[in-house]
Amino acid sequence: MFGKLRHLWHHHPVALLLFGAASVLVVVFALRVAVFALYWSDPDHRHHAPEPWMTPGFVAHAWHVPKPEVFRVLGYDDRPRGRQTLEQIAAERGVPVSDLIGALTTYLSDAAPRK
Amino acid sequence: MTETFLSALTVGGVPVLMFVTCLSCLAVPVPSSLLMLAAGALAASGDLGLAEVIAGAFAGAILGDQLGYQIGRSGIALASARMRPGSRAALALVRAETLLAARGGMAVFLSRWLLSPLGPYVNLVAGGTRLDRRLFTLGSLTGEAVWVTLYVGLGALFGSQIDMVAQLSSSIVGLLAALAVMGGAGLWIRRALRRAHAAGDRDALSR
Repeated sequence: MFGKLRHLWHHHPVALLLFGAASVLVVVFALRVAVFALYWSDPDHRHHAPEPWMTPGFVAHAWHVPKPEVFRVLGYDDRPRGRQTLEQIAAERGVPVSDLIGALTTYLSDAAPRK
Repeated sequence: MTETFLSALTVGGVPVLMFVTCLSCLAVPVPSSLLMLAAGALAASGDLGLAEVIAGAFAGAILGDQLGYQIGRSGIALASARMRPGSRAALALVRAETLLAARGGMAVFLSRWLLSPLGPYVNLVAGGTRLDRRLFTLGSLTGEAVWVTLYVGLGALFGSQIDMVAQLSSSIVGLLAALAVMGGAGLWIRRALRRAHAAGDRDALSR
């Protein structure tokens, strides 16, 4: 065993180092898969709040609620023009984006179908 | 950081996606898988066109692959001009060329999606070993088609849970890529030991 390792170290160091490094990465990624699988298996972790980069339409689609309802919660009478993120809408109105997200979260926790 | 990319995608649309998938094929650490998932979800919600999203991500990836291949090809042309014929480096290059000529097409195809962390390096190596450009392009076109369809499709399906899909899929392809490298190095080691054994090397024989 040691003789083989010594031989490899002298004649094929790249192969040995590559094998060692890849083995470490296999362990790291296997742990990562396990940790994420465990984390996401908890249903509470899956329905988090809307984020500033999302559009009203995205929120409606992702949380399975009607678009007009989301527009209404955000204070639109009609559908908003173009593709605007929550961040842009907040900036345009001069309100903090957390206000919009708060209003949406309250609405979604009542309206969104539980999974 | 990821937030910034996602905002840029929503505001900038398909050109941003194209740019990011192109960079990801050149080993630039950008969250291309997450952006494809998000773009798929934005297409499903009607904010982006589905056909444009797929075409943009695909075009960016193909362009990035060709750039990576060209960089590898030009780089090795410069380096091999300085290699002494018969030197270790020159021999290693010949061996790599033979290996890639036999298995290159499949390596390119699989490293687009199933082993995607290896993709950018396979591009460089394919160019460096002068893998037939038609074979490279075929592997690139088919592999990227799978990659783009898979992630855009998952994004459209999962919507609010793209974080979960991105983290799980990146861990899984990371694990598969590490296993593939480990397997490749293992084969290399086994062959080297067999050769040494055949040649009667004392170290390689001892247990």
